[in-house]
Amino acid sequence: MILLGKVMLGIAGITVAGVGLLCSEGLIEVNVVERQPEAHHVYVLAPAALVPMTMRFIPSRKFGRASRELQPWMPTIRAALDDLRETDDVTLVDVTEPGQHVVVTKQGGSVVVDVHDQDETVHVSAPIRAIASTIEQVAAASDDSSN
Amino acid sequence: MRKVLRSIAVVGLSAAMVGGMAMPVVAAPAERYLHVRVEDPAKGESVNVNLPLSLAEKILPTVNKGGLHDGHVTINHADFNDVDVRAILDAIRTAPDNEFVTVKEKDQDVRVAKSNGNLIVHVRDNTKGGEKVDVTVPMKVVDALLSTAKQNELDVAAALQALSAEGDALLVTVEDATQHVRVWVDSRNTQD
Repeated sequence: MILLGKVMLGIAGITVAGVGLLCSEGLIEVNVVERQPEAHHVYVLAPAALVPMTMRFIPSRKFGRASRELQPWMPTIRAALDDLRETDDVTLVDVTEPGQHVVVTKQGGSVVVDVHDQDETVHVSAPIRAIASTIEQVAAASDDSSN
Repeated sequence: MRKVLRSIAVVGLSAAMVGGMAMPVVAAPAERYLHVRVEDPAKGESVNVNLPLSLAEKILPTVNKGGLHDGHVTINHADFNDVDVRAILDAIRTAPDNEFVTVKEKDQDVRVAKSNGNLIVHVRDNTKGGEKVDVTVPMKVVDALLSTAKQNELDVAAALQALSAEGDALLVTVEDATQHVRVWVDSRNTQD
């Protein structure tokens, strides 16, 4: 009985540690509400650490063009993301048009995009570290695919 | 024993006070933001951009495209109808406060002046619904633009740093019949 308790405690500990590790990079949140023609609601909350891991399973040739186009801009992207991580929370862009409102903000360690229009509402929140590592992987795929 | 403890406490407190005086708390400089607001009330459109200047300062030197490289922009005289922009800026920089150019035409007035450490440009299009443009650039920013040794270049990165060090400033306003554009720098991260 004591042995079973120890095993259960071990499993619980590993589970907690695993969840903690997965969530250490923050969470990616996607919330899409479509209103027309039919109401759809998509809500995804996933650990950001999964994205770079998942990227490793996608063949690098799939990123060929994207990575080639990203390469020359990587120093700029790195500088932007590094500094964005350090800056205070700020609304970077706020665009209002009749029937549409787009807001891009930096909140905590994440970039948040909110789009509201007549047909749908989209909310995407992604940790900057996850964005940075994902972009790095896409850009690096260029070298792999050229070999 | 009590005396020893008291002595240790006094010495410790004194050391803490001296240490506190020797290392004053240095507040980090407040982040400064470049704000751009474009409004078209007739169409119900607006665009607001708030860019941390530190972000712009770090990004700019990494961009190497077109005339922009390492934070410098190369001036192609052909792009300015053979007007030597650098020579004009340099002439303004070294001149005393004055009204340099006033051009009055039937439909347009242009005034370029240097006043209170700022380069000021006013353009008035006198036609119906014509544009009103006001540009104010601190001369320190102009100095920074010209700080590069190359004659056909302007140092935009240095100008951004100079702008960051300046106080709050309204840089550009453009108004016409439909649109209002406003560009300014301050230490607030919102446009409210």
